[in-house]
Amino acid sequence: MARIDLKGWMPVDAVVVDGRPGLSWMDMTGADFAEPFFQQTVDRVRAEHPEGEERFTEFDTLVQLEKTFDSVAPTGFIFHSSRCGSTLLANACRAITGSIVLSEPPAVDKVIARFVTDVDEHGTKEKLYSVFLRAIVKALGQRRTGDERRLFVKFACCSVAQIERIRRIWPNVPWVLLYRDPVETIVSNVQNLPAWLLDEDRRVLATITGTSIGAVAAMTIEELCARAIGSFYRTAHLVANDRALLLNYSQLSVAEIAKVMQFFGVKPAATEMEIIDRQSQTYSKSLAATRPFVADAAAKQRAASDRVREMADRWAGEPYRLLEQKRLEIQPS
Amino acid sequence: MTSTNLTTGKHVVVTDFDGGEGILVDLNTKRYYQLNETAMIVWRGLEQGKSIGEIVADFMSSYEVEPDRATLSVQRLLDSFQIYKLVSAK
Repeated sequence: MARIDLKGWMPVDAVVVDGRPGLSWMDMTGADFAEPFFQQTVDRVRAEHPEGEERFTEFDTLVQLEKTFDSVAPTGFIFHSSRCGSTLLANACRAITGSIVLSEPPAVDKVIARFVTDVDEHGTKEKLYSVFLRAIVKALGQRRTGDERRLFVKFACCSVAQIERIRRIWPNVPWVLLYRDPVETIVSNVQNLPAWLLDEDRRVLATITGTSIGAVAAMTIEELCARAIGSFYRTAHLVANDRALLLNYSQLSVAEIAKVMQFFGVKPAATEMEIIDRQSQTYSKSLAATRPFVADAAAKQRAASDRVREMADRWAGEPYRLLEQKRLEIQPS
Repeated sequence: MTSTNLTTGKHVVVTDFDGGEGILVDLNTKRYYQLNETAMIVWRGLEQGKSIGEIVADFMSSYEVEPDRATLSVQRLLDSFQIYKLVSAK
């Protein structure tokens, strides 16, 4: 069987071509994942190499190649309930020498979504997608310079619903869940609508909210967001164990980030801590890293409409309280 | 010891999952097969060129099962691998 040579290539998206599900690969040789999100790096590489070839393969090629990848094993996972400081944490991981940070790579998040959108009664597909997910992370975690020693993966917020499945694939990898007061989270999402709330394929959100596609379509953004984040809090409360660290946005500081690093088994050097300190003073999602960070909890609270408060209270208040309680019980400050 | 006279297909890729289970990918047909722990023991045995007797012994070291029953199970799995063209004659 001829082996396909995709050395230096990475799966940048999970796609369906002519009815065949698979991966879109790009030559990422020499590419530095410096941007806050993986997709931004892909966009940059595309812009820099407009002549660059992209290839489609079905998933069987990925399984075939999995054993050939020289990859870094995952060091830590970052989950979040959206708009709660996870990008800042991912950027901090990037400051650690020899680290690869995969921030919400589309191929990862789309395969995780298939746990919901493509199921069979025997659970075979679940196992298949677990194998694909493991292999995609391995493909994305390939050493490119030879010096990489740590791999951090930040998942998209909807992946919180699949923590249990992800944990089965990597049972020993420590993970942190960042979350934030529901009112502030909803206000942030309503002010600047994210793609996950606008997803036209409503099966994932229907599963997360425990409703139906029709019900999701009929919900206001405030209700949908409140129910989704309420579900994230509930899942985290259920599955958090000794491999998990719960971190509230209100706690975020350079000292707390250092604690997260320690939890991941990393002891940052003084120079790395300086970089993290500098990063924490700028807006984490800014490509240029020049926009100063402004604490906005109070402003978000002031901006909350009655509807936001009502939805937050009805759908997310109790699970948030329980999650906070669990954090304080298992991780007293 | 009786040889299986079978070898795993070059067109088949195996990957471990969840402890002892595995997934086989037939690169010719693009079909996937989920193997339980028992089937994986047989598959690994074939990969290592073991005889039926050796595979049965592996089987019995993992499960409390009578030799006749173990042999029957191994033979059935070998038959299945042949039916799906996942193995070929040596």
